[in-house]
Amino acid sequence: MRALTLHLKILIVLLVTLGVGLTAYQIFVLGIPVTADETDDLWNIDAKIEFVASPREPVKVQMFVPPLNQEFVSLNESFISNNYGVSINRVDGNRRVTWSARRAEGRETLYYRLVLTKRYSGEQTKAEGPIFRDSIPLEGPEKIAAEALLSPIRQHSADVETFISEAIKRVNNPNDDNVKLLLGGDASTENKARVIEIILSIAHVPMQRVHTIQLSDEAQTPELWLRSFNGERWLYFNPETGEQGLPEDRLVWWIGDEPLLTLEGGKSPEVTFTLSNSEMNAIRLAKLTDENTEASFLEYSLYGLPLSTQQTYQIMIVIPIGVLVILVLRNLIGIQTLGTFTPVLIALAFRETQLGFGIILFTLITALGLSLRSYLEHLKLQMLPRLSVVLTFVVVLIAVISLFSHKLGLERGLSVALFPMVILTMTIERLSITWEERGGNHAFKVGVGTIIAASLAHALMSIPELVYFVFTFPAVLLVLVGFMLAMGRYRGYRLTELFRFKAFLKD
Amino acid sequence: MFGLIKTWKALSARGIMGINRRNADYVLKYNKRSLYPIVDDKIITKERAIEAGIHVPEMYGIIETEQEISKLHDIIKDHNDFVIKPAQGAGGDGILVIADRFEGRYKTVSGRIISHDEIEHQLSNILTGLYSLGGLRDRALIEYRVTPDPIFKSISYEGVPDIRIIVLMGYPVMAMLRLPTRQSNGKANLHQGAIGVGVDLATGITLRGTWLNNKITKHPDTTNAVDGVQLPNWDGFMKLAAGCYELCGLGYIGVDMVLDQDKGPLILELNARPGLNIQIANDTGLTLRTHQVEARLAELKAKGIQETPEERVKFSQELFGHVPAHD
Repeated sequence: MRALTLHLKILIVLLVTLGVGLTAYQIFVLGIPVTADETDDLWNIDAKIEFVASPREPVKVQMFVPPLNQEFVSLNESFISNNYGVSINRVDGNRRVTWSARRAEGRETLYYRLVLTKRYSGEQTKAEGPIFRDSIPLEGPEKIAAEALLSPIRQHSADVETFISEAIKRVNNPNDDNVKLLLGGDASTENKARVIEIILSIAHVPMQRVHTIQLSDEAQTPELWLRSFNGERWLYFNPETGEQGLPEDRLVWWIGDEPLLTLEGGKSPEVTFTLSNSEMNAIRLAKLTDENTEASFLEYSLYGLPLSTQQTYQIMIVIPIGVLVILVLRNLIGIQTLGTFTPVLIALAFRETQLGFGIILFTLITALGLSLRSYLEHLKLQMLPRLSVVLTFVVVLIAVISLFSHKLGLERGLSVALFPMVILTMTIERLSITWEERGGNHAFKVGVGTIIAASLAHALMSIPELVYFVFTFPAVLLVLVGFMLAMGRYRGYRLTELFRFKAFLKD
Repeated sequence: MFGLIKTWKALSARGIMGINRRNADYVLKYNKRSLYPIVDDKIITKERAIEAGIHVPEMYGIIETEQEISKLHDIIKDHNDFVIKPAQGAGGDGILVIADRFEGRYKTVSGRIISHDEIEHQLSNILTGLYSLGGLRDRALIEYRVTPDPIFKSISYEGVPDIRIIVLMGYPVMAMLRLPTRQSNGKANLHQGAIGVGVDLATGITLRGTWLNNKITKHPDTTNAVDGVQLPNWDGFMKLAAGCYELCGLGYIGVDMVLDQDKGPLILELNARPGLNIQIANDTGLTLRTHQVEARLAELKAKGIQETPEERVKFSQELFGHVPAHD
């Protein structure tokens, strides 16, 4: 007995750990959303490329597109063009699309569309970058100005990070004569970046230009940022403000000094970005992401089933929860029900009929069936013929109710047909046996208990969040099994027994 | 909520057994499922009892098929009174008690006159499983009609009072006298409204009773006190009950017995899932007593001794007798 108890305990612990572990893995590692209502921002980025093609000349358009190796996941990417060949290649951590055509004429428009989201960041690849560079050769006053700038920057900084932000701050000081000289009257971001690069190069600190797009609805052009590798990771700086760290909503479009677009065989190219934001149900998003990434964690979940089958399983997978309700009601509370699983089956029928209407129909049919059964009792029929008569009567009754409610314009009444007839017949039969054996009072109690249990089970089984949760994390069922196993050895009192044995406490 | 926890603790302190504990610790542990037919089928119980030399109401005959119904005449020709029972009936359903004959017809205990055809119809109903659990085909049993000892006249209403003793591994644990009432229609089932009266295991003197989960001291129909009645032949009952363990092999049973005015204590049937109201009737929890028996069993097992029914009765009477008198 003790060995058995230990065995059971180990089994329960095993099942619960497995269930919780698998679910935790799904939630925390795979990042599957916990509720169906969880939505994610979805960004739709359109880059529109317009240019005038030169006649009788092959056209080649090259444009950088996001490398997408950071926290963003592309859900869909498309290159829309007419009569152009498209190829994508990766160069130095950048991705570049090339549209090419033998012949094009007049105004041409190409589109690049990217749908992305911030979810499911995969593993971060280990960053690598240069930590030393040669100085850019300077001459004359520029050299002096740069060196004059450098010494206070050195004094005010402790490491690469502070050095760079200090340099950016100095370059953005319009009153500094040295800066004025180096900028040469051009205060554009491009030019500032150039000056910053010069200053950094004297200190042998490498620097890269990073072109970013902000995920917001406003029309924009790529914003220039700077980045430098400090030996461990990339540090991002805003050349205008010295602000450190790339904001969450900034997407790196490309890195390096080259322009966004290069065009051969055409003129006046123009790129405009349009961004729009939409929200998407998290699990659909997860499915989309799944299709676009290698990690196919949803493939072996229930979402891998065909859609129609999924719907069936969404009903089936919550049945254990209904059973759990019955278990708790019977063994912990002590409510008496007809059979063990009849209430669950009735609860399933309630799904179709709706709760209130279902209870009315169930009560009506059972009551009529019971009165028929008690009438048949007088005829002294054998069991099988009697059951057959009751079943036939139930069918007729259901048909009549459907007909009447249809005539009365109550479409709901038609759903009565979904009440499993066999369940109804067996309910009537068992209820009447209970009636005879233990009296009408008891039969009534059992009947009401059954309806309460069925309603409760139905209520729980139709909570969409719960259905979603169990369907998405079926390992939860293992935890349920663990609980059920534990209940199998429960020896405590049932709630109703506390009242039943009250007589003991009276004197 | 707090009150419920208090109730829980109080009940637990008094060793009151709940359904969950009864099922998990006793029924599931001591009663092998394969042995259930012995207690579920009254005919098998009776045959086993006769083999073991245990007193049961004499069996006049068995009817198994519709053809055999015509044998009824032969079976009952020597008897003026008899009982027809379904072998696997539950809750006293389908039992027909014939008290006498009346001009070629039969008279039931309640005085109703019925014809031979009606008896045959009743037999046919029994055979098709009208009264058996689950509606399976059943057999009909025709047996001796028990005449209750006159001692019960004052505290019983119609019907036959019976005595239930709960027996754990052959050790009587608790006893109760079940008295039919007007509400129970002469049946001795507590949930149908019969009274349960506790019985002191050592002396066979009745204690107070329970009726519909309440404590009572008087019979609601006769208004006579139910406590302080000495049951005759009490040791006989105890020995019968203790011997039932060897008879059926089930470790936790309720033994239902009657006291016939001519034949003394007889076993009526055995129950593999005896109810818990016996605790209210005795004002004592079952768990305390079963734990003592289990301790004794472990002790004996260590020594390798197996006690005889007489020894077991003696043990139980010494330990559980003399239930403290009520204040």
